[in-house]
Amino acid sequence: MKERRDLGRAVREALPVYEAPSSLNAWALEEARKVDLQALPQPEPHSHALKSREWRLSRWSIAASLAIAVAAGWGAGVLWPGSRTTSVTNATTSELVDAHVRSLLPGHLVDVASSDRHTVKPWFAGKTDIAPTVIDLSDKGFPLLGGRLDYVDGHTAAVLTYGRRGHTINLFIWRTSANEPADGSFAVRGYSLLHWSTPGLGLWAVSDAAMSELESFRKAYMQ
Amino acid sequence: MRLLSDVGEHVEVGHGGSPGAGRFERVVLPHLSAGFTLAMYLTGNKADAEDAVQEAILRAVRYFSTLRDEDARTWFLTIVRRVCFTAYRTDRPQGTDIMSIDAAGPQLVDDRDQPDVAAERMQVQQRVRAAVDQLPPLLRETIVLRELQSCSYAEVAAVTEVPIGTVMSRLSRARARLAVLLNDVVDFGDVA
Repeated sequence: MKERRDLGRAVREALPVYEAPSSLNAWALEEARKVDLQALPQPEPHSHALKSREWRLSRWSIAASLAIAVAAGWGAGVLWPGSRTTSVTNATTSELVDAHVRSLLPGHLVDVASSDRHTVKPWFAGKTDIAPTVIDLSDKGFPLLGGRLDYVDGHTAAVLTYGRRGHTINLFIWRTSANEPADGSFAVRGYSLLHWSTPGLGLWAVSDAAMSELESFRKAYMQ
Repeated sequence: MRLLSDVGEHVEVGHGGSPGAGRFERVVLPHLSAGFTLAMYLTGNKADAEDAVQEAILRAVRYFSTLRDEDARTWFLTIVRRVCFTAYRTDRPQGTDIMSIDAAGPQLVDDRDQPDVAAERMQVQQRVRAAVDQLPPLLRETIVLRELQSCSYAEVAAVTEVPIGTVMSRLSRARARLAVLLNDVVDFGDVA
C-alpha cells in the first residue's frame, strides 16, 4: 500500500454502513402508520348508532375525568367517590402510582420487551404464581409493549405494559387477598387508576391517560 | 424478541416519500438504517441490532411528543444507543471474533467497486474493521458516529450524552489506539 489514507477515509472505506433489514423496515412502517393514524383527530361518528352512543359515553367519561382533575387540584390524594364507596387505602393507590412512575424511568418499563404475547406470557412462568392473560391489543389501539415483575403494596405483581397514543398503561395483576378493595376508579396525583377483579385476580390499570381511555382499555382487555 | 414474521417482505418502504405519510413515518423512519448501523457496531450482531432498533422504535413511539423535527436523527440515534447500552453487551472480550464483519456480507454498501478492489486493499479494510471493532464501546461509537455517519461534534455529543470536550478527547484516544494498530496503512498525521 503506497498511499496512506487519513483515518476518516480509511474508516469510510473499510466499515460497512448497514441497511435495516426489510422485515424490520416493514414492521417499523406499520408501527409508524399506527402512531400517525392515532395522532389524527378522531372523526366524530354519526352513522352508527352504537358508535355514537359509545362516543357520548366516552364524552361523559372525559367530563368525569376533567371533574376529577379539577377536584384533585384543590383536594388531596384520592378523590373519586365513584358509584360505590371503596375501602381502598391511599397506600395501595399511591404505591401503584409510584410503581407506574418508576416504570417510566429509562430502562425500567419492561423486563421482556415484546409485542408478541407468545414471548411475554411464557416469560412470567416460574417468576410469579399467576398466569396473566397476555393479549396484544394493537387492533384496539393498545399495542402490547412487554411485561415485567414488580412488588407493590405487599403483592408480587405481574405487569403488562401497553401503549396508548403516546401514553403508557401499566396493568398490574396480582392474586387477590382477603381485603381486596371493591372495583372502582381513582385519581391520584394526576394519574388515573382503574381497578377491577376477576375470580382470584385483582387488576389495576394505571396511566396518565384519561379515565375514559382506561375504561376502553379494560373493555378491550376483558373481551 | 423476534420480529413478527407475518409482516411480509413485500411491503414497499418509501421512506420520507409518500405525501400522505404521517409525522412519525416522515420524521423518524428515514433514520432507521442509521440507527441499525449504530446498533450493529454497538451490539456486534444482527439479531441484537434488530431487536435494539425495534425496542428503540417502541420507545420512540412513546416519547414522540418530545421530539422536534430538526433533531430527529440525533434523537433516534440517542434512543438506539441507550437501548444498546442498557440491554445488550457492547464490549468485546479480548479475543472474541468480530461478527459484524462476517454478517456484513452482501449488505456492504462499498461493494459496488468490488471487482477493482485489489486484494491488498481488502486486507487493509479488514485490518481497519478489526481495529475499530476492538475499541472499547465508548471509543468505537465515537469513531462510528463521527467518521462513518459524519455526525458533527455537537451531534456526537448529543447522541452519546456527553459534553463536546469529552467527544474530542474520546476521538483522540480512539485515534491514538488505532494509530498503534494501523500506522503503517493509515495516515494519522501528528498523532502517531
